[in-house]
Amino acid sequence: MKKLFFLLAIIILVVLELNWPAFLDFFYCKPDLLLIFTVALVFYTDFKTALLFGILAGLAKDVFLPWTLAINTICFSIWSYSVYRLNSQISIEEVYARWTIVLVAALLNNFIIGLYSVASGNIIPLGIFSRNLIIISVYTMALSPLIFKLTKRIAL
Amino acid sequence: MFKLPRKTLINFILLACAILLVSNFLSCLKNPVQKIFKPQLSFIGMVKREALGIIFYHRNMIQAARLQNDIDSLRWRLFDLREVAQENARFKNLFNFKQKSPLRLVAARVIGRAPDSWSSSVIIDKGSYNGIKPGMAVICPQGLVGRIVESLDSTSKVLLINDPNQGISSIVQRSRQEGLVNGALSSNLIMRYLPDEAQIIIGDVIITSELSQIYPKGLLLGRVVNIGREFSGLNRYALIKPAADLANIEEVLVVIP
Repeated sequence: MKKLFFLLAIIILVVLELNWPAFLDFFYCKPDLLLIFTVALVFYTDFKTALLFGILAGLAKDVFLPWTLAINTICFSIWSYSVYRLNSQISIEEVYARWTIVLVAALLNNFIIGLYSVASGNIIPLGIFSRNLIIISVYTMALSPLIFKLTKRIAL
Repeated sequence: MFKLPRKTLINFILLACAILLVSNFLSCLKNPVQKIFKPQLSFIGMVKREALGIIFYHRNMIQAARLQNDIDSLRWRLFDLREVAQENARFKNLFNFKQKSPLRLVAARVIGRAPDSWSSSVIIDKGSYNGIKPGMAVICPQGLVGRIVESLDSTSKVLLINDPNQGISSIVQRSRQEGLVNGALSSNLIMRYLPDEAQIIIGDVIITSELSQIYPKGLLLGRVVNIGREFSGLNRYALIKPAADLANIEEVLVVIP
């Protein structure tokens, strides 16, 4: 039953990201709700479930992107594993620590996607690259408490 | 012959004079008398209103609640009708454009946007069933929107012109100066590889050139809003504000070659 709700949450978050209103964009940047969900799953469920739904979330995002490589699927599974390893080595019970982890994951995720985009031949000015990297990550972190609450409610 | 008594006649004349006198004075009296009585009348009116309000409190409360419901439902209907009217205006605009345009066009509605900020694309509700294929140009009455990059059965993905993956061969309409327009993930596009002596000024209109293999010639891209020198110092660049409102686009037209 819980797994069904996780799937439903992914569908809702994808729909929300696809229809994210322009007036909620911050300097043409929108938050990565699915990344927060992927990280939150590691904190509130077992590793296998978190990894499975992390991959599904990445896939759901990649399906709607105009790229051929499923970069989000790869990245999300890496973040699931990394956060799980980190969680097993040090205690991440503090809310601020969790927010920081989301921020770091978002920064790395955006950096990789940005580099991939540049490597694909796209010309992204340095200013735009930095703007996307920083604002998306901070915006993602700022919205993380909401998604954490949603994930916790489903998981517990 | 009929004869009026003298006394009656005098009384009648006196009465008529009195009426005439009062009538003349009445207009002079009206204003001061009403001024004097105004506070009292207002007070009495207020007391009466309040008393009636207390007496008929329950009835008024029910009536107010019913009217509030009516207002709420009418407000929603008004909101819906405004939305329908706006949609109607947009469709009318699109239809007029489609009628006038010499191109073969398929109208489509935007149903989703790119879920991240590293690409600029939209998903439309028409796909290969409607004859849409990758590479087709997508426009709107205001100007060029992008091109189809992926076509499924009933949906297609449109790469917008402000995506960095876009490279559109274009010209300045006034001077026919050629350049390559790229997206930059922002509200403006960049026209690159402009030589020093390029004939381009702020406000110039940029259109697609005939060198473009994807886009039909002469489609409006936007206007020049700024001109600068590239970091290498070899060329100049121009910032172009797209004619189409890419952030809020809702309906588009796919050009069938």
